Amino acid sequence: MFRYNLELALHGLRRFPKSTALVVLTVALGLAACMTTLTLLHVLSADPLPGRSQHLYLAWVDTVLAKPLGSGSTDMALDGISYSQGYERIKLADAQALLAAHRGVRQAMVADMIANLASEDGKHTQNQQLVLATSADFIPMFGVPLRYGRTWTAAEDAARVPVAVVDSELARKLFGTADAVGRGVRINGTVFRVVGVSTPYAPQPRFYGLNFGAYSSDGGEGLYLPYTAALDAGLAPPDADACDADYQAANHGMSGDPRHCASLNVWVQLDTPRQVADYRSFLQHYVEQQKALVGFGKPARSQLTSVAAWLKRNDVVPDSARLNVWLAGSFLLLCMLNVVGLLSARFLRRSPEVGIRRALGAPRRAVFLRHVLEASLACMLGGVLALPLTLLGVWILRQQDNGFSGLVRLDPAMFGVLFTLALAVGVLVGLLPAWRVSRVEPGLQVKSE
Amino acid sequence: MHPILSALKHHKTTVVLVALEIALTCAIVTNALFLIGNRLAAMRVPTGVADNELVWARTTGLDLGQGTRPGGDSAADMAALRGMPGVESVASANSLPLSQNYMSVGAWRRPGDKKDALDNVVEYTGTPGMLRTLGIKLSAGRDFLPQEYVPYDPNRIGGGVKTPPPRVVIVTHTLAEALWPGENPLGKIFWLDSEGKEPVQVVGVTDHLLNPRITRYQGADRNMILPVTRVSGGVYVLRVKPGMRGAVKLAIPKVLQGIDPARMVQAEVYTDTIADYYHGDRAMVWVLLVVTGCLLALTALGVVGLSSFWVQQRTRQIGIRRAIGATRRDILRYFQIENLLIVTLGIVLGSLSAVGLNLWLMQHYELARMPLAWLASGAVVLWLLGQLAVLGPALRAAAVPPVVATRTI
Repeated sequence: MFRYNLELALHGLRRFPKSTALVVLTVALGLAACMTTLTLLHVLSADPLPGRSQHLYLAWVDTVLAKPLGSGSTDMALDGISYSQGYERIKLADAQALLAAHRGVRQAMVADMIANLASEDGKHTQNQQLVLATSADFIPMFGVPLRYGRTWTAAEDAARVPVAVVDSELARKLFGTADAVGRGVRINGTVFRVVGVSTPYAPQPRFYGLNFGAYSSDGGEGLYLPYTAALDAGLAPPDADACDADYQAANHGMSGDPRHCASLNVWVQLDTPRQVADYRSFLQHYVEQQKALVGFGKPARSQLTSVAAWLKRNDVVPDSARLNVWLAGSFLLLCMLNVVGLLSARFLRRSPEVGIRRALGAPRRAVFLRHVLEASLACMLGGVLALPLTLLGVWILRQQDNGFSGLVRLDPAMFGVLFTLALAVGVLVGLLPAWRVSRVEPGLQVKSE
Repeated sequence: MHPILSALKHHKTTVVLVALEIALTCAIVTNALFLIGNRLAAMRVPTGVADNELVWARTTGLDLGQGTRPGGDSAADMAALRGMPGVESVASANSLPLSQNYMSVGAWRRPGDKKDALDNVVEYTGTPGMLRTLGIKLSAGRDFLPQEYVPYDPNRIGGGVKTPPPRVVIVTHTLAEALWPGENPLGKIFWLDSEGKEPVQVVGVTDHLLNPRITRYQGADRNMILPVTRVSGGVYVLRVKPGMRGAVKLAIPKVLQGIDPARMVQAEVYTDTIADYYHGDRAMVWVLLVVTGCLLALTALGVVGLSSFWVQQRTRQIGIRRAIGATRRDILRYFQIENLLIVTLGIVLGSLSAVGLNLWLMQHYELARMPLAWLASGAVVLWLLGQLAVLGPALRAAAVPPVVATRTI
């Protein structure tokens, strides 16, 4: 029966090729617009580190020796980087205490800094390079893939040894070769010895360094340094969430000196809900122990934030990406309304023929099914045509120079979405016209012929 | 009118379909036109400086570990820049309107009183000649005097030892109104710094100077200019004869590296900076235009399709009407009025949804309320579209000869 209906539906499609083409094209345009914008949203809201991110938590304690921030605060932006409060950063002493407590499975201190780099011989330079000052656990904990050599150890962190892990792209720029183990990177007169080379690592969004922009089409830090040695070399985070009051009174501008200002993030790996709960109470206990805070009129505050909650709180997905999905969605809706009209006209034109089928004994249900099938087939054809159109749309998006559109790729999951969407559209637009044509009275039509 | 209405009653589904289509298009197109209008208006706001005569440059010092001095000697740099052909004047500023880099601070109406402070006031700092070089026009008061420039340097990343701000300031009209509504700001004093203890006196007012970045908190042009002797991490601004801008931009790196080779130099014509700033807005306008175009085209297609179908269905009735005396003009009118009725129904529904959509957008995207006049623009567009779309099928209907009436019966 299904095969017979299918044949009839195919036959129906071939009978008015012009109107079939119009239906297919309309559906294809609507689907392609929808898929292009959905693909962008899908890429932007994807899990930055699948398999790892659900175990990573940002630990924060409020130990800044100052009254809570309010009026008169300073806010600035330079080179597309916003310097503002609110990245849940903490001061150096607290970061070191949290690392030393070893309460998580792994823990790492993380801070983005900007440095001018040179190869040891001074022949190749790299200006305003984003570097990540961190601790030994970062590379295994965040899954940075090592290609040559090793990462540094906790002992090297403690001994303040100037070592570095560089990514292969930056290694090529500085040394002309990816295998740069043993070479030296010069920063502010200190030579950092390369102990390992990683493949380029840039999770999107770069959730551990949102103040430097959530998305980047051109890679991430490129250079990882032990924070102890980086601070010794005179590097510091460019800004902070807040500074101790007495320090702020003596200095101005935006300072990220981690000894006095909250400018470092601490990420912790916690594998079970039990560990999470334990760590939470450990943090709160830690803050309550801080005697120096008495007198600043602040409640003891601590926070443990998962990656998903962190991304949501910082609202990293750009508004325009969501707005585009809405626009494309309403465009698809309009396409569907149009197709309903086209199909209604087309099916009703066939009323005499349906009347004869009904008179010969075809039940309403069969007429209805056959027409829904025809509509679905047309829309599936539209879906097939939508595929190259979506690829075109994605290509156009990639030409946009806005920092995040360059990341758009079509992945297999999106093919599934396209298929499902096309089928759903087909059934939905088929329902009303098919129902109307199935109401055709058998006798009447035979009489008028 | 009555026969048209009763004929429509027989095609309820189709009428509802077309009306819904029109309503959806109306709701989206009205809001899209409003958004486009908003963006275009925002892009046309003057910056308050001499857009077409400015070139800026920025340098970053390199440290190769060979004892070179990071940064540069700004006095020597500026002297060299002044010597370039086509350059009329040079100054150094922390930022320029629409150049993205900004710093904002609190302005205190009473010293040390947090409750009486205005937050998020953008701070420009500039060296002698900044007003003249940028082409900032004062509407009241005076430019800074040579002795009023002080070594104040708040605009740095990494902090530094504190020096007090200058004692005088030039404010925009917007800032003056925010601090002292309706009063003459000249000679008035407000306080700066993180504790609000450093007084500055207003010596000049400019009607309009855009912020480096237009944001929700900082607004569009609520800012002040402070006189300083040196700006670290800022830009050199060059007032250049318009025809020479390209050449000057290309020559700047050589000139500056001639003074100190160990540094990076970035130079840009200011109009390119403005174009960059509005890049996102332009992309948005294009997206909305394309969406509007597609929606209108699709709606027109839908109307053409259904009208054609109706004309075909009613061929015999049209023949009968023609046979009993209706003129071609009557038939044409019939389809045109029918279309007008359906489109009007759609526009009524669409206007309601347009207002709803606008309210929703206001909640989620910080948008302004749409003045109701915009609804009229959407309505006019759709009426015209409907009439254009129906014209073809209606003409075909009018061309049906009376003899058709006798054929199939």
